[in-house]
Amino acid sequence: MSWIAGDLGREQIMDRLPAIGEHFQRLYASFYSLSQLPPETVELCRLRLAQLHRSDADFALEEYPLAAGKREQLQDWHNASPFSAGERACLELAEVHAMDCSAITDAQADAVKQHFGEAGLVALLQALGVFDGFIRLGLIWQAAPAGGKQHD
Amino acid sequence: MTSAARVSPPAGNTGNVIRDSALGIVPETLDHYLALNAAIWDAGPLSAAEVELARLRNARHTGCVLCQAVRYDVAIADGLTEDKVQVIRQDDPAAQLSERERLIVAFVDQYNLDPAGIPAQLQQDLLAAFREHELLHLSLLVAWFNGSSRCAVALGGMPEAMPRLEISVPR
Repeated sequence: MSWIAGDLGREQIMDRLPAIGEHFQRLYASFYSLSQLPPETVELCRLRLAQLHRSDADFALEEYPLAAGKREQLQDWHNASPFSAGERACLELAEVHAMDCSAITDAQADAVKQHFGEAGLVALLQALGVFDGFIRLGLIWQAAPAGGKQHD
Repeated sequence: MTSAARVSPPAGNTGNVIRDSALGIVPETLDHYLALNAAIWDAGPLSAAEVELARLRNARHTGCVLCQAVRYDVAIADGLTEDKVQVIRQDDPAAQLSERERLIVAFVDQYNLDPAGIPAQLQQDLLAAFREHELLHLSLLVAWFNGSSRCAVALGGMPEAMPRLEISVPR
């Protein structure tokens, strides 16, 4: 139960200030229809952030379906086979971003650009910032995600 | 920290600092970014001075030199002084702040350092000092500025230091 607004979920709490909350949710949704980044890659990065924040509720969400095995092997993506080179570049950047955004190296940024271009790097950094924000809001409000579909 | 920008901004100059930045090369998100940023300043119950206080405290956590150098003119007009800005740059400024300001700083610090570990006492103090809509506004603006500040840092090209820069909210 959230201390800030009773038994409401995270997105329902956002809806209580719709003049801002709706814009936030539209921006969040826009990351799954980008021309620069495949939605599956975006979803992998969101799920990896959820793991790093230890947010089981966010990891249980399914904003975009993944190919078989990817969700299960995500924690060990460095060694697991189902991830493409582009996905690996994004996951590596996502991990550093989560810990210290100033520690991202030129090589890590270049690896993302090699696969998805400059616009892909910008879009990924935007998405990581918003996903990180949603996860942190859920944690600090003590409110589980209310939007999206639960992974089976 | 890198010294070279990792992305080129779009060609042209619209006069809008967001459209003219690297964010301008992702058209699918640009209008959402602009609308959310404007709503943070225009559509919530906290004063512009309180929004700016939270934004600047957050920028201290992310280490964004640009974010720390900027002052929004609406916050200055609302009464935020440079003396107050210098106070919130301290590690523990609580003694020099009002109760509301102290709690804004405490919330920003908690959000950045340990969001899952927010103490019960801080929850109670926030509920006592702020209305629900004010707490939602505070939460959403910190989430917004934290994410956009991280993005600015990660895009590179950040100088070691910058002079104070007063700007208007881009719309």
